[in-house]
Amino acid sequence: MYDLIILFTLLFLGYIFGQMAEKKHFRSLIKREEEYREILTFAKRFPLNNNADQKAELVGGNVVISVDYFKRFVATLRNLVGGRVTTYESLLERARREAILRMKEDAKQKGLNAIVNLKLETSSITKGSTSQVGAVEVYAYGTGLLSSHSL
Amino acid sequence: MDFKNPKIPEGINVSDEHPLKNFLYLFLGVVGVIFLVLLILFFSIGFIAKWIPFEKEVEWAQSIGASVERNNKGDLLQDLVFPNEAETSNNSIEDKLRAEKITAYLQNLSDKLSVAQKLPDSMKITIHYIDKPVINAFAIIGGHVFIYQGLIDVINSENALSMILAHEIAHVKNRHPIVALGRGLGLGVVLSLVTGVGVDGFSTSIASHINLLTSLAFSREQETQSDIDAYNTLLEYYGHGFGAIELFSVLLNSNQSSGLPELLNSHPLSENRIERLNKLGTSIVDKCTDTKLDCSVTPLPSFIKSPASK
Amino acid sequence: MIVTNIEIIPGRRVIKHLGMVQGNTVRSKHVGRDLMAGFKNIFGGELVGYTELLTESREEAVDRMKQQAQAIGANAILNVRFSTSSVAAGAAELFAYGTAVILE
Repeated sequence: MYDLIILFTLLFLGYIFGQMAEKKHFRSLIKREEEYREILTFAKRFPLNNNADQKAELVGGNVVISVDYFKRFVATLRNLVGGRVTTYESLLERARREAILRMKEDAKQKGLNAIVNLKLETSSITKGSTSQVGAVEVYAYGTGLLSSHSL
Repeated sequence: MDFKNPKIPEGINVSDEHPLKNFLYLFLGVVGVIFLVLLILFFSIGFIAKWIPFEKEVEWAQSIGASVERNNKGDLLQDLVFPNEAETSNNSIEDKLRAEKITAYLQNLSDKLSVAQKLPDSMKITIHYIDKPVINAFAIIGGHVFIYQGLIDVINSENALSMILAHEIAHVKNRHPIVALGRGLGLGVVLSLVTGVGVDGFSTSIASHINLLTSLAFSREQETQSDIDAYNTLLEYYGHGFGAIELFSVLLNSNQSSGLPELLNSHPLSENRIERLNKLGTSIVDKCTDTKLDCSVTPLPSFIKSPASK
Repeated sequence: MIVTNIEIIPGRRVIKHLGMVQGNTVRSKHVGRDLMAGFKNIFGGELVGYTELLTESREEAVDRMKQQAQAIGANAILNVRFSTSSVAAGAAELFAYGTAVILE
């Protein structure tokens, strides 16, 4: 009985705080993506404009985001049934966008204005021996360029 | 060449579905399916278990006992049921002789009742007497019936004792222990599958449940059925059913029904059991006064009461 | 030392390829961070401690890779890749590798 009470309390807390955090994060993502829009990012392997590029440097950004209790519980249930685990979809989306943004911040700090050959790496930070996804790390990296593409 | 990063609209990779709705569907669905599986398992196992030959039951009871005996000394079946109290055997020789005498008496009585109850020849009842002040008696697989000194101390006649034994024999005859064991095992299997114990933890979790399962409660339908069968046995053996009424009155007074509402308790409440049996016998008190039946009650032999209660 | 993950450096020419250089580090988080992560597992959100730890570790891996390159006389590393793997519960390996070259 107490187990059930604890379970539902955790689910409730997880839901309230998790939803709040997610909404807030998405708002901030949209805002900052607008801010860093001038740093063009491509997944192509070659510099934008071979002769005009003056500088090339590795840039990167990473983030570790944890799922809340509610989402993990829903995902466990989903595991039994199969199908789209929508709660994790949003988690990974947020993590990737955040990592890319941080990479762009890094590029801006280094005085670069474009990024090519963007690579994303995702790994799950597991806690204990269980194979459950507790938190994901996304690392975004690429080559920052000082390019004359828009000049 | 022109390079641009146009804005990508939101909500393509993230679905719009409300998380609570998603959760509700999943939760109700999964709980419903588990419930359904349990229900099917519960009934089908109860159904199938009756077809397991009694000899198999005896074998299993022996193998469980043997595996326990390998690890512990002493009364193996007592160990099985009461692992914590196993080492309280500081009995004197006198106590042991008394226990043997009582066991022999109970065994003799149960053999007579078995005949009266028309127990099939393949089934053999083995009585185990436990010298502890607990008001209880129960039957497990393999026809092993356990009876406590505490229960013997609160009753006053052989008829009531016969009612207890006949009740437990009826459980064995109707295959209730194996059904309860099967249901319990099925429950354990499904629960451990659902909670994701995995294949490794699987067998150990079953093993750890065996202790619990041997003394698992029977359902109330089973109890009622055994009451009726036992009552009929008393009618056959003594010609009247006073023992049943006495037993349940005593249980009522000794507060054995633990005050739980009938729905939550595995045994029917004693008041209701008396009432039910009264209906069955259409008031045996009347019968005794009307006809010239011998309604006398057989007393218990003196040695069977515990020395302290005298 | 120029480090990029593309195969050429704009405006410069590779005169010598020196083969692969690599740097790795295996890190594990300490108990305090694990505790905080436990809380975050209920409420969700970013695990800042882990983010910093992994950033530091990657920097170390890149540093080691650069040291290797320096030792063999390279002045640039091209086509750098990262790889992360959890080798044991609570410990992760961060690995960086690339091609060491001498630019003109």
